[in-house]
Parts: sequence; C-alpha cells; structure tokens
Amino acid sequence: MKRSLAYVGERALLIFISVVVLFPIAWMFLTAFKKPRDAYSLSLNFEPTLQNFVTVFSEPWNLGSMVMNSVIVATVTVVIAVPCAALAAYSFSRFRVKGRKFLFFLILSTQFIPAVVIVLPFFLMFRQLDLLDTRIALIIVNLAIVTPFVIWMIKGFIDAIPTDSEEAAMIDGASRLRVIKDIVMPMAAPGILTSSIFCFILTWNEFLFALILSRRDAVTLPVGLVSFRTERGDLWELMSAAGVMITVPIFIMALFIQKHFTRGMTAGAVK
Amino acid sequence: MAEVRLVDIEKKYGSFLAVSKQSLTIHDGEFLVLLGPSGCGKTTTMRMIAGLEDITSGDIMIKGERINDKPPKDRDIAMVFQNYGLYPHMTVRQNIEYPLKLRGVKRGERKTRVQETADKVELGALLDRRPSELSGGQRQRVALARAIVRTPSIFLMDEPLSNLDAKLRVTMRAELKHLHHELGVTTVYVTHDQMEAMTLASRVAVMREGKIVQLDTPKKIYAEPADLFVAGFIGSPSMNLIDGSVKGGVFRADGVEIPVPLEDRSGVVLGIRPEELDISQGPNAPINGKLYALELTGESTLVTLRNGPTSVCARGHADFEADINSPCHLTPKDGARFHLFDRASGERLG
Ligand SMILES: Nc1ncnc2c1ncn2[C@@H]1O[C@H](COP(=O)(O)OP(=O)(O)OP(=O)(O)O)[C@@H](O)[C@H]1O
Ligand SMILES: [Mg+2]
Repeated sequence: MKRSLAYVGERALLIFISVVVLFPIAWMFLTAFKKPRDAYSLSLNFEPTLQNFVTVFSEPWNLGSMVMNSVIVATVTVVIAVPCAALAAYSFSRFRVKGRKFLFFLILSTQFIPAVVIVLPFFLMFRQLDLLDTRIALIIVNLAIVTPFVIWMIKGFIDAIPTDSEEAAMIDGASRLRVIKDIVMPMAAPGILTSSIFCFILTWNEFLFALILSRRDAVTLPVGLVSFRTERGDLWELMSAAGVMITVPIFIMALFIQKHFTRGMTAGAVK
Repeated sequence: MAEVRLVDIEKKYGSFLAVSKQSLTIHDGEFLVLLGPSGCGKTTTMRMIAGLEDITSGDIMIKGERINDKPPKDRDIAMVFQNYGLYPHMTVRQNIEYPLKLRGVKRGERKTRVQETADKVELGALLDRRPSELSGGQRQRVALARAIVRTPSIFLMDEPLSNLDAKLRVTMRAELKHLHHELGVTTVYVTHDQMEAMTLASRVAVMREGKIVQLDTPKKIYAEPADLFVAGFIGSPSMNLIDGSVKGGVFRADGVEIPVPLEDRSGVVLGIRPEELDISQGPNAPINGKLYALELTGESTLVTLRNGPTSVCARGHADFEADINSPCHLTPKDGARFHLFDRASGERLG
C-alpha cells in the first residue's frame, strides 16, 4: 500500500513536470497549424492549415535561405570541430605532458566567459576582416564556442576506454595514429556521435552571435524568428511554424542519441 | 631470433621502486620464466621490454642494439597481456588477424594462418564471436592466439594460461613447448604455476620486491635454492622449513634431531622437501610428532605432522592411513638434501 502510494506520487510528479515542460512546445506545434484568426484563441477546436509553412518560405520571410544558413553553419562546424576535438581529447586523455591539467583548464575556462563580453570584440574583428554577415564568421565563432565543450565531452568517453587494447595494438605493430583509427575511434564511436549531435544542437540554437554578426545574407533560423515581430504585431502562427522548423531536427537527433547512446562498447577487452 | 639484455634497469612509479637496478641476459632462443609473488615486478619488467613503460634508468638491448627509445611497434615483439587487452569491437577472427594485417600479410595467407592458430588454441568454432561473448578462459586463448599467429623475434607472455581449466592448461602448455621447440623464438614467460615454470623454462628468474634473487635452471633452483625465500617459493607443496638451532653437529627443534655439517649456532632454518621424507615406524625416527592432517592428492597422500611449533609435511603413499593425533614418525630418504639457512638474513648456510 505504502509502496503504491509512493509510486502514484512519483508518477504524478513526473506527469506534472512533463506538462510544465512540454506544454509551451505542444502549444507552439498547435499554433503552427492555425489560421491567423485562431492564433489567439485557446480553443483546441480549429481548422488546421499548412498555409503558415507556405507563407514562411515565401517573400518576404524567405525562411528557406535561413534554413540553408543554419544547416551549413551547423554542419561545417561539426565537421571541423569534432575531428579536431577528438584528437585533442585523445591527447589530453593519454599523454602525460607537463602542464596538461592547466592547459585543459584553460580550454575549459573559455566556457565560463559570458558571451556578451566577447561579442563586441568579435564584431569589431570581423568588421576589420570584412566578414560581417557571412557564414564563415558564424562558423568561426561557433567553432570557438563549441570546440572546448566537445573536447571535454569526448575526453570523458576516451578516459573510460581502458588502455589495454591500445597497448596490445601498439605491440601488434600499429603506429599511434593507426591505434587511434583502428582501436580508439571505433570504441569511442557512440560517444563521438553523441558529442557531434550535441555540437550540432548547440550551433543550431546559437542566437546571440548570429544576431549581432548577421544582417541579411547569413541570418540563421533562431535569428530569423525575431523578424516575425513586426510593427503590425507578433505573427504568432508564422513564428510557430518557423519554431517547428527549428525544433523538429533537434527532436529527431535527440531520439537518435537515445537509441544509439549505448555504453558497453568496451565490454570484453579485459578480464 | 634475438638476445635480450637488460642492463641495470630500474623502474620507479613516483617514489615507489617497482624494479630496482636489475641486469639480466636472455639468450637467443631461450625460454626464460619469471617467477615471484604478486606485485614483485614481473609485469613491469615485461612492459619495459615491450616498450609500454618508460625505463627510469638503465638500458634494454635487443640483438645488441639499444632500444630504450624505440616504439613498441618497431621491437618485433608479440605479447600476451595478463589482462588480455583484446579488441572488443572486433570479432575473434579480426582480433587474431590484426597483427598480420598490420604487417602487410596477404589476405589469403592471413585466413589460413588465423584458422590454424585458432585450431591450436581450440577456438576454431568461435571465430565470429566478439570478446564480450566469450568466457574468461576463451578470451585468454584469443589473447594467446593473437600473439602466436605470427613469428616475432621475442615472445612476452604474462600468465597466458592462468585462467584455463587444469586439462586445457596442460594441453596448452604442451602446445607452447612444442611451439618454442619448433620456432626457437626467445621467450619471456611469467607464471605463478610451479609446474609451468619447471616444465617450460630453460632458466627461471625468481623475483622478489623488484629484485631477481636467483637465476638458474629449474633443476638447480629446485635442488639448491639460493635463500630462504626461494626455498619456500619453489616446489609444491613447498619445502618444510623448520626453525631450530645446531649444537654438536646436530640440528635440533621440537621433535626433530638431524645431524648436519654445521658448527654450533642458533637461529637456523632447516629445509627439506616433502617428497624426500618417508613415513616410518618406530619411535627412533629423526622427526617425531602427532599426525595433524592427511590430504589425498590422487597419486600420493600429504601427511602433516606437528610437534609444538614444528610442522612438517611429507609426501607418502596414496594408501597410507592413520588416525589424526596418533604418533607419527618421518625419516629422510637416502640421499635426501638438507638445506640450511640463516633465520635472520635468509642466506644459505649449506
Ligand atoms: N602504474 C603504476 N603506478 C604505481 N605503481 C605501480 C603501477 N604499476 C605497477 N605498480 C606497482 O609496481 C609493483 C610491481 O607491479 P607488477 O604489475 O609488475 O607486479 P607483478 O609481479 O606482475 O604482480 P602479479 O603477479 O600480481 O601480476 C606493484 O607493487 C605495483 O603496485
Ligand atoms: Mg603481473
């Protein structure tokens, strides 16, 4: 009896938290399919439409180019950041170099600097380089933000891999790079995949730098969202449709992480 | 084929001395066994030879060349790790094949060599499993197969049979002996098993606390242990070590009186092996006491006698029977060896 009471309480709490967290998102999804006149109504009884998605992709909103910008910036960031971070993480994890701990702390400490503090220097720098409102600028900034985080994350995964298999491979005749390619990367693959997705999500959602550094050509989705606040008022149904465009890929990736985030890849290496 | 020479090698972990200034020459084609209690530095010594551990000081020479700074892959070594070090993401087949692949052996030959080696260690049927789907003993055999699949200059084997059942261990032991005979590859082998050491070794190095205390043929180490430690360590059941003193050319302890060629002194330990004692009738035997335990081992019975602090074990006939606590007498066989050691220093006296 006592146990079932605890069970009910636990469930109730979980449901309550889920509702609090999920309600705004659910509401956004609903609004995305509403006509403008239904947008402010609380009734669930409305006639759904796909018109909003058509509207946001046409003039003057042009969400298409923003999707493009977001995809390119996030993808290129991941493609550069993850391999570099993986090598750095391996080195931090395995090589006992003097000053290693300090260096690692230094890299992590970049994460503690509030973005607003460095956004102006970045702005001035990119103006000097004539890179304002370009994807390259956004990629560079995102790399700076994301790489330390990914290094830290992948290092955690590599630390958890026992060195025995690596040593065996070196005896068997593998060079250090070969060991990384043949032994470490396959064993760390679930971790690296997870880190890549995190990296993608971070970049995809990045707002402040994109807002300051882009104006027209390089605008990303989160920044694009702001443009639905017009002098004619907030266009909730369009903003929601764009919001759906932003969240759906993230949802899919989150599902993917859950499915593939399997530990135990290293089982069986040692006694 | 290679000679391995360790010259004054030392290994410190921080301030902890794991191996202290040892020199050792392993001859070309020799089968050297490292024997010693847990934590005495056997694995550390192996890892230094393999190049997995930095040497704090000293030199390692292979084929006369100083290889201190050579990476492991260039030392032409194959190693069985104490904790296996398998590749968990590869199948058994890929595990065994990997060293061949790295050395550029052609696909066709790889396939036959893997199959042959797997059959040797009785793994032929498990080639497509992953290490996580194997038992401990099977994993160990994969580690062994991966080492013997190619012919290196040096084999390093760290307790390669420790996790196998008794029967398989004997089979594999014979397999290794045959392999060594066939290939004549210089081998360094770590074991806790007396039988393995005795049957496989050309020479045995007994280690203790990072030092080699005796280096000799198995026969010599068995017959003439250099000190008290080696005497107690080699042999199963281990040598009887009786505390006593010598007076008038006779070694005396509770229930023991044995003439020995030694001048008077106290703090003497007399060693005699259980297999060199006979169970005798009559009260005038050199060793007397009460029967403490009887253990049938199959081919013989271990008889333990006690008298005060003295405890002596003898290997008797399998048919021997007597009541516990009944009087018991032991006589050294003709030609039995007595080993005399100094209690305090452990040094051999004669
Ligand atoms: N990485 C390390 N850091 C600190 N001390 C170590 C390290 N590796 C080994 N040691 C110590 O060095 C000593 C020798 O270890 P080693 O592994 O060579 O022992 P061993 O003779 O192989 O023992 P076993 O028979 O149990 O395998 C031990 O006391 C051990 O605690
Ligand atoms: Mg060991």
